[in-house]
Formats: sequence, C-alpha cells, structure tokens
Amino acid sequence: MTARSPHAVVLTSRQGAPDLRPPRRQDRRAGVARPAPGIVKGGVLGGIASASGMALTATSGWLIVRAAERPIILTLMTAIVAVRAFGIARPVFRYWERLVSHDAALALLARRRWAAYDALIPLTPARLGRRRRSDVLAGVVDDLDDVVDAQVRVTVPVISSVVAGGLAILLTSWLAPAVGLVLSALAVGIALVCVVAYRLESRSLAELLAARAEVMRVSELMTSQATDLHAVGGWPTAMGWLDDAQRTLTTATRRQSIGRATASAAFLLLVGGAVVLTAVVVWPLALAAPVKALLLLTPVAVSEVITPLTDAMRALARATGSAARIDALLGLEPAVGPGGTTDLPATTGAPRLTARGLTASWTGGRTDVGPIALDVPAGSRVALTGPNGSGKSTLLAVLARHLEPTGGTVGWDGVDVTDLLTACVRDQVAIVDDLPHVFASTLRANLTLARPGATDAEVRDALRRAGLSPLLAALPAGLDTRLGEGGRGLSGGERARIAIARALLSRRPVILLDEPVAHLDPPTATAVLTDLLTADPEPGPHPTIVMATHRPEGLSLFDQVVTMQRPPE
Amino acid sequence: MKPFDPRLLRTVPAVRAPIAALTAVGVLSGALTVATAFALSALVVAVVEGAPVGTPALWLAALFAARALLAAGSDIVSAWAGAAVSTRLRSALLRAWGRLPAERRPDPDTAVTLATSGATAVEPYAARYLPTLLTAALVPGLAIATLAVVDWPSAVIVVLTLPLLPVFAVLIGKATQTSTERRWVALAQLSGHFLDVVRGLPTLVGYGRAGHQVGVVKEVSERHRSATMATLRIAFLSSAALELLASISVAIVAVVVGLRLSWGTMSLGAGLVAILLSPEAYWPIRRVGAEFHSAAGGAVALDAILAHLEAPNAACEGALSGAPVRSTPNAALVEVEGVEYRYAAELAPVLRDLTLRLAPGLTVVTGPSGVGKSTLLELLAGLRTPTRGTVTAPAAHLVTQRPFIPAGTVRAAVTLGAPRPIPSIDVSASPMSRGMTSTRDEAVWEALRRVGLDGVVAALPGSLDAPLGDDGFGLSAGQRQRIALARASLCTEPLVLLDEPTAHLDGDAAEQAHALIAELAERRVVVAVTHRPELLRLADHHVHLEPVHGPATELRAEVRR
Repeated sequence: MTARSPHAVVLTSRQGAPDLRPPRRQDRRAGVARPAPGIVKGGVLGGIASASGMALTATSGWLIVRAAERPIILTLMTAIVAVRAFGIARPVFRYWERLVSHDAALALLARRRWAAYDALIPLTPARLGRRRRSDVLAGVVDDLDDVVDAQVRVTVPVISSVVAGGLAILLTSWLAPAVGLVLSALAVGIALVCVVAYRLESRSLAELLAARAEVMRVSELMTSQATDLHAVGGWPTAMGWLDDAQRTLTTATRRQSIGRATASAAFLLLVGGAVVLTAVVVWPLALAAPVKALLLLTPVAVSEVITPLTDAMRALARATGSAARIDALLGLEPAVGPGGTTDLPATTGAPRLTARGLTASWTGGRTDVGPIALDVPAGSRVALTGPNGSGKSTLLAVLARHLEPTGGTVGWDGVDVTDLLTACVRDQVAIVDDLPHVFASTLRANLTLARPGATDAEVRDALRRAGLSPLLAALPAGLDTRLGEGGRGLSGGERARIAIARALLSRRPVILLDEPVAHLDPPTATAVLTDLLTADPEPGPHPTIVMATHRPEGLSLFDQVVTMQRPPE
Repeated sequence: MKPFDPRLLRTVPAVRAPIAALTAVGVLSGALTVATAFALSALVVAVVEGAPVGTPALWLAALFAARALLAAGSDIVSAWAGAAVSTRLRSALLRAWGRLPAERRPDPDTAVTLATSGATAVEPYAARYLPTLLTAALVPGLAIATLAVVDWPSAVIVVLTLPLLPVFAVLIGKATQTSTERRWVALAQLSGHFLDVVRGLPTLVGYGRAGHQVGVVKEVSERHRSATMATLRIAFLSSAALELLASISVAIVAVVVGLRLSWGTMSLGAGLVAILLSPEAYWPIRRVGAEFHSAAGGAVALDAILAHLEAPNAACEGALSGAPVRSTPNAALVEVEGVEYRYAAELAPVLRDLTLRLAPGLTVVTGPSGVGKSTLLELLAGLRTPTRGTVTAPAAHLVTQRPFIPAGTVRAAVTLGAPRPIPSIDVSASPMSRGMTSTRDEAVWEALRRVGLDGVVAALPGSLDAPLGDDGFGLSAGQRQRIALARASLCTEPLVLLDEPTAHLDGDAAEQAHALIAELAERRVVVAVTHRPELLRLADHHVHLEPVHGPATELRAEVRR
C-alpha cells in the first residue's frame, strides 16, 4: 500500500505552486546552434575537407596553366602530388567529419531524450493538453530530433565554412592582398545573406506549420469520419475543406521557399561578382600566370563550400521553433503538487469517493467542471454523462489526482485527498482512456506493466475477464506474441479490452474509464462494457468504477448515472 | 525500389505539370553549367595571357546572374512541385476512398497514416529527390556531349570511367547487404522504442512505471547510437569511396590534359573547359544516392499510396458476391433481399437472411439491442455493402446516433450536405422578422425553427455565424440531434434514415421532432429506428427485428401495416 512509484521522488523534489505558470523564458536562438561536445571537432574536420576541395580546384588551375607553359614535366611533379593529395583528402576528411559529427549528435540526442523523458513524467498527463496527448508527445519526439539535427545541419557546415573560408582568405592574402580583400568581402556578403535567409525562413515557418496542421486535421477527419460524412452527404463539402486547406498549404510552402531561393540566388551572384572582381584585380598584378589562375579559381570553389548553408538556415529556423516548443512544454509546473503528508489508511477494500462543491480547471483560467457534488459508494459503478464540455474527463482527472481542484473538496473514504500523498492516491487508481496505447512488446509485457510480477495465470485471468480469451487463443505465440508497432495489429475493440485487462490485473481499488468505447461501433461498445461490468468478480472486494461516456450503450449496467451540465461561463 | 515510378504519372495525371516544370529547370541548369565552364575558361585564359578581360568577364557575370535567377526559380519550382505532388496525391487518395463502402476502405489507422504523414513524406521525394534525379539524368549527358565536341579524348576517359560509379555502388551494396539489412531491422526497433514509450507515457505514469523507463530510455538511446553509427559508417564509407573514385577519374582527365598541354598538342582554353566540365559528369550521380537515402521514406509511402489508388478499380472489376443493385431512380423502391452482413469474415453475422420491402411513408424499426438495426440503416444508406444478398435503394440521408457536427459555424453544421441552392421551404408561416439576408439563410432558420432551436441560435453571439468547436464541442446530445434533424429536413434525398433520432429529447422538443419526422414522411420514404412509443404511434409501417434463437441465429423481420 505504501509502495511508492519512482516518480513520486521526482514529484516531491519539485517545490512550487500547482498552478500554471508562464513557460520559463529562455532565449534559445543561440542555444540551438551552440556546439555540443565533439561537434567543433567535426566542424574543423569538415573545414579541412572543404578547404581541400577548394585547394583541389585552385591547384588544378595552377597545374593546367603551368603545363601550358610547356615546362619540364618534373617541375610539375609537386603540383601533381598536391592535386592528388587534395583529391584524396577531401573524401577522407569528409568521411571523418561525418563520423565524428553524427556520433556527437547521437550522443546529444540520447542525453536530450533521456532528460526530456524525465522532465515529461511529472507533467503527464494534465499538462499535455486535454485531447490527443499521444500526438503532443509524438511532437516532442520530432522536436527533439529537429533540435539535435541542427548540430549536424547548422553548426557543422557553419564551422566548416568559417574554417575553409578563413584558410582561403589567409592564403590568398599572402599571395595577393587585394584578392584576400575580395574574398573577405565575399565572406561578409555570405554572412549577411545567411541572416536574411534565416529571417525569411523563420517568418514563414509559423504560417507553414499552421497550414500543415490544418491539412492534417481535415484529412484525419475525412479518413476517421468518412462514414459519418457520407451519411449526411457531406463528403463533397469535406473535399472542399481539403482543397482549401491544401491550397493554403501550397501557398505557404511557396512563400517559405522564397527564403531559400533568395539565399541560392544571392550566393551565386556574390560568387559571380567575386570571380569577376578577382579577375579585374589580378589582371594587372605582376604575378606568374599559374598563380593568377589559382587566385581566379579560388572564389569559384567557394560556391561548393557554401551550398550547404542554404539548408542550414532552414534547419536553424525549424530547430529554433522546435526548441521554443520544447522549452514551453517542459518549463511548465506539474499540475498537482506532492500533496499532503498523510499516507492512506491501510484499508483493503475499495474506497468511497465523494465530491462537494468541486470545481477544477485545466488552464487555471475558465472552470472546466462543476461545481459538482458526487457520492460514489465503495465498490459501486457510476456512469458520468452529459454534453461535451460538461467536465466528465475533468472530473475523472481530479479523482485520479492528475488535476488539483480549484474549489470544493474530494473525499477518499472521508479524508480530503489534498491531505494525502499524491503518489499514494495515484497508486490506487487505474485509468482506461479512449485511445489506449499498446506498446511494441509482448502481450504479457503490455499487461504486467500494470502490476510487475503478476503470474501468467493472473494475466490470463485478466484477459479472460476483459473478454480477450478468443484473442489469446488466436495468437500464435500466446502471451509472447509481439503487439503494437511492427507486431500484430489490433482492432479498436481489442485495444480497449487490453486497457481494461491492465486495469483489472493491477487490482487497484478504483478504476476510472474515460470514454473507453468512444471510437468503437455500437455492437462492439456494448460487448466491451458488458464484459467489464458483468465479469465474474475476482475473489475480494469489487473495485469502485467511474466511467465517463457520451454514448447510451451499457448505461443500464451501472448503479448510478450522473448527468453533468456545462459549468456556468 | 525503382528510382522513379512511372505509375505516378499514369495514376495521378495532375502531377505531370510539376514534374514537367522540374524537367525544364533541369535542362536549363545543365545548359547554363556548360556555358559557365566556357566563360570561366575564357576569363582565365584572358587573365593569364594579359588579354582584355572585359568580354569574358561580362559573359561570366551574365551567366552567374542567369544561374542565380534559375537557382531561385528552381527552389521555388521544387517547393511548389513537392507541395503539388503531395497534395494532389492526398486528394486522389481521399477521392478514391470516398467512393468505397465502409468495409472496402482500408482500416482507419492505415488510412489516417497514409492520408496525413504518408502524403507529406512524398513532399521531399518530389521536391528534392526528383529534381536531383532529373539533373543526374540530364547534366552528365550534356557535359559529355560538350566534351566530345571540345576535346574528345577527355570525353572518352569520362565515358569509360563513369560506369564505374554505379558498378562500384552496386558492389558495395552487395558486400554489405546482409549486415545492413540486419542492422536496419535492429535500428528500426531501437528508434521506434523512444516514440513508443513517449506515446505511452500516460499509461506508464498511470501505473507508476514511468520512472523505471527513464533508465531503459537511457540504455536504449545508447544502443540506438551505436547501432546507428554502425549503419552510418557503411553509408559514409561507400559515399567516400564513390567520391574518391570520381576524384581519381577527374585526375586521369587532368593528367592527360596536362601532358597534352605540355606537349603543345592542346590549347589552354580547351584544357580548362575539359577540367571544369568533367566533374559535372560525376557529381550529380553521387548526389542521387545521397538524396535517395533521405527520400526513401517518401518512396515507400508513394508505393503504398499508388497501390491504394490502383486497388479500388481492381476491386470493382471482380464484384463481390452479393454486391448490391443500388441507386435506383425509383424513389419509392426500397428493397432488402436475402441480406447477410458480417463486420469481419471471422465474426458471426449481424444480419442474416433479411428480406424487407419498404413502402413510402414512415417506417419504424424496433428490436432488441444488438440485433443489427443500425447496420440495416447503414446498408440502406449504401455506406456498407451486404456480405450476401442485395439492397436496392435511392440516394439516402442518414442521421446516426451521434450525428457528426463539423467544426465551423452553426450555418455550416446545419447545411452540411445540403444542395445549393437549398430547396425552398414554405416560410410564410415563419414568424421570423429579423433581417434575413438570403433565401438560403431563411431556409436554415426555418429548419432550426422546426426543431425548436431558432431561439437558442438567435441568442448566440453571431447567431448563424456562431462558432462551433471541434466535433460540436459544447453541444448537448439533444442539441446535436436537433441540429441533425434540421439538416435532414434541408436535404433532398428521397430516402431519410434516422437512428434513434429523439433518444436525447423529451417534452416539447421530442414532440416537435416527431412532428417534423412525420411531415418528412409525407414527401419521402423515412425509416426510423427508435425505442420511443410516441414515434411508433406515428408510423405507417412497423418492422420488428428479432433474433431467432437456434443453431443458426436467423433474423426474422416482422412487418406490420
């Protein structure tokens, strides 16, 4: 009973008000591209590779012009060796750079994933938004990838360009200071173009993401609600929504491409200008013809070095946005504090849950539930119904201690829950939501996460009570069958039943179900609920069951049906 | 995997324009690259020989300006092509699925994935990989052809060495194939792990297992790192090897040019052109490999999408047994004959051997829960096709138990699916005196009045333009049903199907709704599934469905006049 989950430690270590605070302000603009350990080495190696490429072009020019002067072949040997050396150095250093920088980036990714995961635990679930939490979480994974990607796509090419450009400026200045000046001016121009390109990319990014999200929303609506749309002849209208959303997306994509297009064009203009300028500067100089060729071809070779910078600015803009999103989310305070100091009384049965004048809010702004009074006797089954927005899910979140009440009290066998240790209360509650997650693991592992150490017999029993015996019988490897991504696919009904089987296996005295059958067809929904509520009880007391639903199926099986109203504005 | 799937052009003709634009840009950029090599050589020759640099410098400046314009154009065209190809594929996909009955559509998870991220993944394929592929197909050929004219020995060297690149690439691929495949499988599992445990975080937190996962995440991330590096090492090594090969090939050209220059059998200008052009023959081919790697996800998605786009046609050819004879123009003919329906082959049938003939007027269907009443309505609406038997029915409008309300305005919710212009309703009886803007709005107000929602809507800020949340957020079940009934009264389909239309209504609201249903039945065939005796009393016909117990659960329909 007093066994604490590991995250309780994290929760208790966080002091602070449970209310929502503005995200911690951090200027991430510089932070995204700040080199991780090992990245500077990668950048320098990349710089050597780029410099080798430039040297290859320049020395080839020297060699050709010198050869045209028809000297003794032997005098060309040094240049021939140099050309070969640069030709070999470029791929070798590029290979080395890629190994070093990818290894450093992957190490950073591992660290950031682990840290983000740790930081997400106390924020789950209440701070992840009210719906589509799984998508919010998947967004975090993508954003982390973007941020780490910036090391390889931004930091390395920028360092490489600086190193190679610096070497080129040094060498040309030594041969002809005027050409060094031209190249320095070119470098300044390139830097300015990068700044402009970054600005253009960032400006159009928000618009593009919004347009993309809208296309995703409409196409998901059309695929998941196809039957409903067809039923009322609304499909052509929906096609119209899709066309509108996609038109906006195409426009936004085109607008975003202006940043990149500007950079590509400006780079070519700058390089072209630098080549012509170098020609004008070099022409009157009293230098050997081969050296003149070398100097003239150096700015031409810059082109190859700076090409990755166009992509780098796009990656930087994206990573900056991703970093801001991650910081905003991870900077939130947990929705519920560690709670009081009292441990739960060592009872064995299901608790009686009560609410008096209870109100709660997800955002700290408007009230999402109540005021509501509720009395759930120990071991009884209560259904919550009411319109969308009446606070069914909010009430469940408060009962589960995922959300702090903003007014009124919640009683746990008569004790105010805020006086109890949050972690202890949570350990008593099993939750089944509308989109249960099935992990890419075995059927056994998917269940025993609810109670590590459960025997196979207990797992089978929970499956049977959740109506999954037919599934188990059909699985080739029984409990060892892999489910989830890359494993056996499951129907919506099977997923809901797996979540219910978990809750039953956990033997927690309170089971809260949040629209468990919302996405199932009516016959399946009725069957799932009937199996849950009429399953022969395990030895011992009945759990207290509270279910939120907007559907009529199975309501007759409950002891009490509470119809909720939208809270007053 | 094929480098380019011509099915794309055949199946989705709308993508031909963007791909043609990309090809045009590819040809132009190839030509400009060749021209630049000439101008640059001329400039170098002028500078080293002390000749006037004006003309070649101007040419070079002009060419760089042209290339700058083309580069900008190419970026914009590529981005547009990416967006155009992916959005057109998405439209084609949804249009194709829209024509299919429920059981022939792919399962919802697959459908959502393909229509959302699947179509998006094609974007980099079209925006980045295709342009590179076109460049690789055009520029080397152009460079070699020019070389053949300017300096044929160099062209011969390039033609002889160029095939080494793909041969070498294949050899490397073969040599590392087994280990690469093994690693990819491991890698896919490892990289999927983090997403999996993050998506499942609410569940893990719920059962107090999240803290335990932190350690697992740490360990798996490290394993992911080493597995990725093992895979990348091979990829980087093969790309380095190809670059080295290209470098050596260019070096051979350079050495031969150098020797011929020193023997005086070649002009400096021609030598420079050969040196500048020969790399152009190699790098596009190397870049295709790199871009293909990053667009591989898009290619896989494209494959799946094209399969789905081609499949419906195939499925229609081999008509399933019991495919319905549908969409009769005869509005009065609604017939169900010997129909069986199964949600899945391994499940017991929901309906079995059901025969019905519905007459005009209001038919009320009753029966115990789970007997297949909702399924019957979906069959009549043509949303599902029977596993066996035939359904004959005209175009239908179905009000489901929890009617769909789109996010948007009240007006959009009520007129969803209604034809334009809305058929005129006799509004003379309407007491509405507010300034009504159009006959369309008048019809909407009238429909709302008939279900008793006019007062509620008029009180909303913005009235008909009042926003409704996602999936009708904020509406009670009763309001939702009344909006759906108003919507049904605006539609023109000769068959109206209602699934428990007044389950959440009582008192005046129910009475009003029942009167509206009876009135609809005067002009159209109306079939209502209901438990309410008040509605049953209004019925012209009554169908009672009951499961007949026995070894074969046969469904008996009892039709009463």
